[in-house]
Amino acid sequence: MRRAHIQDQPATYERLVYKNTSLYHYMRISLQLENESTRLSAAQLKQLICSGLRDLYGESNVLQTSDFPFYLLSNQTFPLFRSLFLFVSFSGLVKLWSALTLLGSYQNELCSFRVTQVSPFLLTLSGNSRELELD
Amino acid sequence: MYPELDKCPRSLLVCEKSNFEHEKSRHDTHVSKHYFNHKVSVVIPECGALPSRLASVINNFSKYFLVMNLPVYEFLDKDFLKNVVWNGALYALSYRTSIDQDNTIALLPNSQLILSVDKDTYEQLGLEGKPSQYNHRQPMRYVVTIDLTDKSMAPGGKRYQRVLSSLKERVPLKSDFLLGRHNSGTDGDRALQSLLSRYQWKEHRPVVSSHTLKDLPCPSLHALDLRGDQRSCDPHSFLEWLGAVSAGVSCDNTAASFLSTYVCPEPQTLVSQALHCTVSGLLLPEDIYSLLQELRRYFDEPKFTSWLSLTVHGFMDSPVSWGDAEHGFHKGGENFYNLVLFKNQDYWLHMGTGSHDRCPP
Repeated sequence: MRRAHIQDQPATYERLVYKNTSLYHYMRISLQLENESTRLSAAQLKQLICSGLRDLYGESNVLQTSDFPFYLLSNQTFPLFRSLFLFVSFSGLVKLWSALTLLGSYQNELCSFRVTQVSPFLLTLSGNSRELELD
Repeated sequence: MYPELDKCPRSLLVCEKSNFEHEKSRHDTHVSKHYFNHKVSVVIPECGALPSRLASVINNFSKYFLVMNLPVYEFLDKDFLKNVVWNGALYALSYRTSIDQDNTIALLPNSQLILSVDKDTYEQLGLEGKPSQYNHRQPMRYVVTIDLTDKSMAPGGKRYQRVLSSLKERVPLKSDFLLGRHNSGTDGDRALQSLLSRYQWKEHRPVVSSHTLKDLPCPSLHALDLRGDQRSCDPHSFLEWLGAVSAGVSCDNTAASFLSTYVCPEPQTLVSQALHCTVSGLLLPEDIYSLLQELRRYFDEPKFTSWLSLTVHGFMDSPVSWGDAEHGFHKGGENFYNLVLFKNQDYWLHMGTGSHDRCPP
């Protein structure tokens, strides 16, 4: 009885402020290919992005996975390439974004990545008011 | 490698823990002062379908209007001021204007007219304003705030005429607007209809979507452990999990997926089902507060879950976040808050903003 009473006591006020404490940044991107019927698997997609990073920054620096991890988040719309979610350590955001911007081809086929949204909170990637379209 | 490349934009996350029944709880202020809300998302573990009372509240969310090519000076119309603006509860935000590129206009329910404009527009307008707090080196953006209830802005007065002539003749600012109004009264409705009749407009209702997630790994939360020391996960991990649920991201990190190592944070339980409901459009704080009150009543009857979550996303291109705090868009325009409600009326409130924002209140 005493234990239940303690658990039901209302919480006291507490306030915490976190500044720049998110370990990761999240990106919502889409891939556009010259031939719209081309489909890439998840592994091919990651390989493509790695090749972009390698072309821009070289082998020696940021491409070791342990130094510069980025991951694709698998989601149900992934096969449609409408929106891909990446998450990257905060120190890797600028490098990854620049590599995506400059990536222009996949197996001799023109392609481009569109960066739709970037945020330190994954939660905000599903609440983009810029996509609100009304008749 | 250049150290500048390792930098990233500043972000802020404020977390509060309190109880709804505390007399000093500020949850109502936080909700009411976050004026321009684009999307609301509710996650209820151990729930298979949207309860009828919640559905009723959501379906009663206020309608809103999209008005095309509305000149800003129309907000200064005498009849409109008297019957609509001064009565409060009118929200207006320019539609599809980017706060980092375009002129953006907003009318707050406390009758403040906010013009967030570029340098050229500001100089041509000739109205008193301040440089944006988020300019880079040279001021490129200015914010003009006009209090429409101030006695100097009484129709016919000198200042009123000056503002009116600036907006009507010097720089006839116009935009598509989202207009929302909570209280309806005969005179206000008449004045609003009179305004709408002069322009092309369409009425919209918030779009509701609901689905049930099966076999979902779900964080275990304890109201007293906001930091996530032992009995809960830390706030960032919890918000990341919520983001994963909202985006439809898999939380189970199957062995085949070397691509994604995302897993639900510990401590966790596996719930057989969870409800995820979203509402989007121009959502008014009054309606969100009604939803919050109904969610508080969810625990009036025994439930398997000990918590549920309400997330509210602000418009990325709103010129204000909470109250009159200036909001901008740098690499992102996030300004959101999340409430976690517990059985005993305890709550957590997480408020997140990006680099071009003041610290949430």
